[in-house]
Amino acid sequence: MIENTKCECGHQNRVGTVLCEACGKPLIELGEAGGLLEMRYDGAARRSQRANPGIIDLVWNFFSSVKVAVYLIVLTLLGAMLGTIYPQVSTFVNLQNPEEYYKNTYGTLGSIYYQLGLADTYNSWWFILLLVMIGSSLVICSLDRVLPLYKALSKQKIKKHMEFLTRQRVVYQGQVEGSAEEWIQRAAPVIKKKGYRVHTEGTALLAEKQRFSRWGPYVIHIGLIIFLLAVLFRGMPGLHMDEYVSFPEGEIKRIPGTTFYLKNEQFTVKYYTEQELPKEFQNKGKLVAKLFQTKAVLYECTSNCNDPSKTPQLKEVTRHDIEVNKPLDYKGLVAYQYDFDLTPKLRSVQPVLVNKVTGEEYGKFKLDMMNPQRSFTLGPYTLELKNKFMDFMLNDDGEPTSKSPNPNAPAFLFLVKGPDLPKDGAQYLYFPKQVDKERFQQDLINEKLGGVEKKLELDVKHMTDVDFSKASSYLNIRMDRAMPFVWTGLAIVMLGLVLGFYWTHRRIWLRIDDGQLTLGGHTTKNFFGLRREVVAILKTMGIEVDEKSLDNGRNKG
Amino acid sequence: MSLADLLEISKQAFMYSFFLYCISFIAFAVSVIGKSWRNRDPVQHERKWGRLSFFISTVGLLGHLLYFGTRWAAAGRIPVSNMYEFMSFLSMMIMVAFTIVFIIYRKTLLGLFALPIAIIVMAYAAVFPTEVQPLIPSLQSIWLYIHVTLAATGESFFAVGFAAAFMYLLRTVNFDGREKSDRRQRWWVEFTMFSIVIVIGFIVVVFAFRASGYQAVFSSEQVVAATETSPEVSTKSDSVVYNMPPIVAPYNSKTDSMQSFLGMNSPLLHAPSWIEGVTAGRKLNTIVWSVIAGAIIYALLRLLVRRPLGKLVSPLLKGLDPDDLDEISYRAIAIGFPIFTLGALVFAMIWAQQAWGRFWGWDPKEVWALISWLYYSAYLHLRLSRGFQGRKASWLAVLGFLVIMFTLVGVNLVIAGLHSYAGTN
Repeated sequence: MIENTKCECGHQNRVGTVLCEACGKPLIELGEAGGLLEMRYDGAARRSQRANPGIIDLVWNFFSSVKVAVYLIVLTLLGAMLGTIYPQVSTFVNLQNPEEYYKNTYGTLGSIYYQLGLADTYNSWWFILLLVMIGSSLVICSLDRVLPLYKALSKQKIKKHMEFLTRQRVVYQGQVEGSAEEWIQRAAPVIKKKGYRVHTEGTALLAEKQRFSRWGPYVIHIGLIIFLLAVLFRGMPGLHMDEYVSFPEGEIKRIPGTTFYLKNEQFTVKYYTEQELPKEFQNKGKLVAKLFQTKAVLYECTSNCNDPSKTPQLKEVTRHDIEVNKPLDYKGLVAYQYDFDLTPKLRSVQPVLVNKVTGEEYGKFKLDMMNPQRSFTLGPYTLELKNKFMDFMLNDDGEPTSKSPNPNAPAFLFLVKGPDLPKDGAQYLYFPKQVDKERFQQDLINEKLGGVEKKLELDVKHMTDVDFSKASSYLNIRMDRAMPFVWTGLAIVMLGLVLGFYWTHRRIWLRIDDGQLTLGGHTTKNFFGLRREVVAILKTMGIEVDEKSLDNGRNKG
Repeated sequence: MSLADLLEISKQAFMYSFFLYCISFIAFAVSVIGKSWRNRDPVQHERKWGRLSFFISTVGLLGHLLYFGTRWAAAGRIPVSNMYEFMSFLSMMIMVAFTIVFIIYRKTLLGLFALPIAIIVMAYAAVFPTEVQPLIPSLQSIWLYIHVTLAATGESFFAVGFAAAFMYLLRTVNFDGREKSDRRQRWWVEFTMFSIVIVIGFIVVVFAFRASGYQAVFSSEQVVAATETSPEVSTKSDSVVYNMPPIVAPYNSKTDSMQSFLGMNSPLLHAPSWIEGVTAGRKLNTIVWSVIAGAIIYALLRLLVRRPLGKLVSPLLKGLDPDDLDEISYRAIAIGFPIFTLGALVFAMIWAQQAWGRFWGWDPKEVWALISWLYYSAYLHLRLSRGFQGRKASWLAVLGFLVIMFTLVGVNLVIAGLHSYAGTN
């Protein structure tokens, strides 16, 4: 069926038009007399209101519906709620077996929670899909409405249909004396004084102000789209880096994946003194941290960066005292104070090679934990470093491996060659820390490896031969190339919110027919304020009305 | 003046402004109810008493500002960092929002609804420890000031929106109607009343048992989950002090000491296993007590007035125009929404980016701030484009305030996260 959309004023409207684009006469039945006009988008047809929709149109129509948008918002809201029932897996750093953990900690419910994938709600496919759908809805809803609205507002007719005026929410009708044109001319400056832009046409008048606030919602949506896109593309390789690195005091360490090196010159923890604590806390042995600070120097590698056999050339680029809330920021590479460890970390030892049978010593050598030399020559013996384990453990197959890259339990596997040893050499595992030596039974391991422990031994003679770093600072190194877009999006959202919520688009239509004045007023919000303004305008024009009597609303009287 | 003196002034100012609010509330009630008293001109009466009540509430607000200023001076930082300070600030902002809306609309009745909210929130603040705590490093930021104050300001406008919406419902719901929809509306209005009474019940039990100095101590073995700072699973023994008789003891705990209460010498129940941690057991116990106390108070009120509370209050609203109430509710929310967005989300993101290097971490408090925001944006969409006005919009505004309250209080009570330093009972 083809709807007849031609208005009595002669204007041909598009399908879906509610109010004639020219004169404003309602094109659909409004039911009982005195019903209010539907003033959304000024009654213009939206793009989605097509006569014969195709598939693309149907998709478009789906996303262009505010009803669908509200459903999406509500679903997202409910989905987000589900994710706050139990802690999410992302809050744990070292969760080996999450399934078991949820079961043990939260019982059957926890197990079901994990099975449903709710332990990682915010990365689940359906949650991301909801966000993507909200994004589509934002784009399509806005496009569907903003263009027709823009057209409708930029080609407004001054003289509107009588019914258009009397069916607004703010209406006044009354008699005026004298010439109609003259009355309108007198009214124009009065309304102008209230900040309106006034257009007149014979015996009709249109006054309008703060039209820009109508764009507020669309500005908000543009900002949200930029924000969502930035968040979506944030995770792309190269745009994002997130590393946790420990920096022992006094050491220059490379930031993985970059050409930057960082030195922790000094790490400080300060606690509040007893006097600074409130009375209730005093003398209870309660420590409240006041400051965590890493004095950091950032270097950039200029040459020999990727060749392990050469020393990299470093150039200092910046220095900063990193505190919580005061990260180091160098060209988008940001280092945050994250954690610290005050237990001393072994940096290097200087053991002596001893012949166990004769007691002969073959000289001291320096074994650096992080960057050890590859081979050492001591008297008639050579020690070749085959492997090192920074955090020694035996895996399920009984093979040595490293639990973490942190030197908690360092172990070094050497190939020893020399007199009294097999021609191809013998393997020898060395734990620099005395506790590890006993804990992991160094002698037993070496016996299995070839029995070198009966002939030779590495021994640290003095405490001065052991070098410890005092404190390690854990920094979170981040790089986020998408952040500027995130902030831009949010700034645009705020701009739109302010435009749309703190200003209102107000319009007043006037027409005089045979001495009868008809006034219609429309605003997007705050009819209270508009009525007050109309009363003031009419008062200046010599007409006294009660604010409430202008309300063409649901409960007049 | 020493810092201790300032703190003393601050505490006094807090007390006085609390009492002034209470007096102002009574005066507002007199100005509304007294209209129908004999021998007086209703308009004159309301004008005279309305002015007086507003004057008292304004003096109360000045006292509240004095509390805020002196505590700020004493602490050397803005006092919004723990639950006591935050809730006091929130009630102050509710009074500011009320004062602004009152100046615009001059509706005496608004005082009758906004003041109780402010009073309840302020009393709720007093439940928490009041000492000035030093700030841990992650809180030492200018963004603490901006984020918390703006978020609270936005929320206080939502509170005023809630008050106006609830007034709209009390004004329009048919309390004598026999139809099913009338009955349902009445039931929900009464339920809202009951929820408010439960909050009052909570405050009453806390102060009653605090005054009596009740104490019980429990300890239990806890499995400590692996966290970012301590990657190993271990067990530790925790003890917890109850200041209310233990109806519910922590899960898997043993009683170290317990005062007898009305012949009750051991806890009646133990919390189920999914109520995790010893303090969670205490929170559950507090909730149970609040509901019991609230129910008793509610029952007493019903016995006293012999009709539903909604029906008791609704005749007071006769003279009000429902459309105005609807408009006030909507406007309060429309004013609050951008402020809330800026304070609770945008500035929170900026701060999180600076402190932890990620602007968003799906921490429960963050998620609930987002949920509140999504909720109110759904409200605005429905209102603007789908013609939700009047009753439907009012119910949404009432429910919205519940969401806000859960974000502020419930998340700390039920779920803990990064914001758990705010501390709860």
